[in-house]
Amino acid sequence: MSGEGTKGKLRLGFLTAFEVPQRGFVGGLLVTNHFGRPLEFQCTTPVQPNRTQQILYGPTLVPFIQSELIGKTLVDKVGVKPDLILTDSQQLLDLREHISIPVACLDDQVAGESSAEGGESASQISIGRHTLRFHGAHQSDEQEIEAKSRLIPDGADLLEPFERVREALNEATGTGAKR
Amino acid sequence: MSPANDQPPAIASDSDSTRADLSQTPDCVSLPLELTAQVFASGMNGALKRWSAVEAREVPLAAKLTLSPGWKPHRMRIATFGFTFPDGLEFIPPKEEADDAEKLERILPPKQSKRADETDSGKKKKSTRLKPPEDALSLEDRLFYVLQPPLESWLAGQELIMPFEPFPFQYEGIAWMFAQKSALLADEMGLGKTMQAITAMRLLLRSGQARRILLICPKPLIPNWQREFKLWAEELPITTVEGDAARRRMLWTMPGVPILLANYELMARDFDGMPEEDHPRFDLVVLDEAQRIKNRDSLTAQVSRGIIRRRSWALTGTPIENRPEELASLFEFLEVIPPRGTPDLRQLSRLADDYILRRTKDLVMSDLPPRLDRDEYLELTPAQKHSYATAEKEGIVQLNDMGDTITISHVFELVLRLKQITNADPLTGESAKLDRLAAEMEEIVQSGKKAILFSQWTRTLDWLRDELEKRLPQCGTLIYHGGVPTKKREPILTRFREDPDSHLLLMSYGTGAVGLNLQFSSYVFLFDRWWNPAVEDQAINRAHRIGQENPVTVTKFISKDTIEERIDLVLQQKRDLFAAILGDGDNTNASLSLTASEIFGLFDLKARAGKGTKSIGPEDPAEEKQAA
Repeated sequence: MSGEGTKGKLRLGFLTAFEVPQRGFVGGLLVTNHFGRPLEFQCTTPVQPNRTQQILYGPTLVPFIQSELIGKTLVDKVGVKPDLILTDSQQLLDLREHISIPVACLDDQVAGESSAEGGESASQISIGRHTLRFHGAHQSDEQEIEAKSRLIPDGADLLEPFERVREALNEATGTGAKR
Repeated sequence: MSPANDQPPAIASDSDSTRADLSQTPDCVSLPLELTAQVFASGMNGALKRWSAVEAREVPLAAKLTLSPGWKPHRMRIATFGFTFPDGLEFIPPKEEADDAEKLERILPPKQSKRADETDSGKKKKSTRLKPPEDALSLEDRLFYVLQPPLESWLAGQELIMPFEPFPFQYEGIAWMFAQKSALLADEMGLGKTMQAITAMRLLLRSGQARRILLICPKPLIPNWQREFKLWAEELPITTVEGDAARRRMLWTMPGVPILLANYELMARDFDGMPEEDHPRFDLVVLDEAQRIKNRDSLTAQVSRGIIRRRSWALTGTPIENRPEELASLFEFLEVIPPRGTPDLRQLSRLADDYILRRTKDLVMSDLPPRLDRDEYLELTPAQKHSYATAEKEGIVQLNDMGDTITISHVFELVLRLKQITNADPLTGESAKLDRLAAEMEEIVQSGKKAILFSQWTRTLDWLRDELEKRLPQCGTLIYHGGVPTKKREPILTRFREDPDSHLLLMSYGTGAVGLNLQFSSYVFLFDRWWNPAVEDQAINRAHRIGQENPVTVTKFISKDTIEERIDLVLQQKRDLFAAILGDGDNTNASLSLTASEIFGLFDLKARAGKGTKSIGPEDPAEEKQAA
């Protein structure tokens, strides 16, 4: 299902979502080739949950908005489908339950520096300089990605594209994202 | 929805915590329970044994239970915004050549031993992000730049191979140019304008921002650009406009050519004779040595402005050669001022802030080896002295006799004649400068170093070569000037670079001062002085530039008590006077040629010139005596 990338190509989706004070939650998805060159970008306008949603969703509100609402919308919307979606937050891992593309969360630590603390060794692999954590219920994602991940250069900084997405979201919310 | 409302207040008031809880409930009323007992003096107090009277009240249950309106989770609609990035041009990667050992340039593979974002000291390396240009108004345009990867990772030898790691200021220059529709890169000579321009063009092509680029440069620099493109962007096919008119016409309009390279003369001639509807269109036009269009009325300037293009870049180390107004012509090409616009100094300065990027070696290249300037004041030989004195005396008498008919060219002629005598005596061939040069070259040859020498005259260069071949054959003297056929020039430079027995390259200011990379030379001699310090600096910077690993010694030969000394002083004064037009630390933009009044002033002829000009030359008592 996720085999949009042709042989020898790997498209990475960098997904992040965060709350902008007084505006609500925004999310952005940047699809790049395996060198980090951008292919497509999608972002949402700010999403503001109402009082009822805040009360009824309780602590599950943020994961719901970030993954099910924002993440899924962006993945549905994007034309250049990524082979792997990388996130910078554990909460976004749940997106995997709603889409058919592997989702992995980047651990903060650089690969090899904290293998002892991982705990969920079965769903972790190293790509570039980072450790990727996959969704516990989708263990097969790991094998699917491991083979393709060799295309990513060893020195690649997979956290860097998130900075671009965050900057783009700030730019978009600052200037008023329009449909 | 307010359960506390129905509670009897007396029950709730026992504990403070409960009261606090209840006080937060909107419909709760809290009343203090007061029980009072009176004690009588008899000691018998019946009230103590009596129970407090408590009343009970019946509260009926609601007959019908009501519910608030039902709520079901529904999926909110989210508005999105997005765009796809244009496809960049794909180029076939260059093949590895088998005969690499014979290549002139050793191209090192990109360094991969360290993490991409770490320097030798282990610190996190600065990343250069592309910034949206000021005039990018739409969100899509702005995000296009914001979402590009940092240049360091873009050029880290992954997708685009770079033969050498650029310096941080070069990354900044590339990022700036990439985002500019109008840009004048005016870095001081030797800081790598060529490389920055090539890399920015490469990124534009690779990111789909440009598909057709025209690069115009002076004719002698065509091989230099071809070589630099091969070094910095090997995969880009370059097409040079040359050949007969029919072939050139075909080349101008041929589709699928990403980069066209042409010289100013051909560009001006071909476009001038071409019907307007046939004019080719370009995504980007780059003018190298853009001071060539400083005169906005020249054909070259007019034709350059007429080329249909989306972006305009200009490269020059000397954006102002004589007057700040020259910038206006460049700004007109960049389309940031209206046609024939005449911005005042304040406007020019503001435009410079927006559209000019200039860095000087002093500011950015703290690690470039020092340049040691040495002014060698030489005493003329007796024969030279005699010839000089005679020529000067006769010349001034002649000029005086001319009265009001005297023109600048008459004075100029005398200056040239005197300068030639300071180079060598025309009768005997004696030359104090040659003697000193031969002595210094002997030492340079022994140490295995290389030197370049500049002179104003090709004839002087030819004479020097002959003399040095006789005196110092081991010097391996080579010559490079306008008289050398274009095809033979490149092999001469190659030989000078490669041949360990070749120690001296003689060059003319006109041909050798611009654009060549001779950073393997540690010595520069200015055999005679040019009229314009900017040209001299251009010449010196052939050697004192990026890639130079040793200090560069610059020797200027100045003959004592001659016109050379006076010219040197005037130029120095002018340089001081006009320094820092473009910013602090800029010591090379005062590239001002001698004006007519200054040339008259060299002989204190201002009064006779009758044009109200004022001498700014030094008041030398010796000169006054001579003039009298």
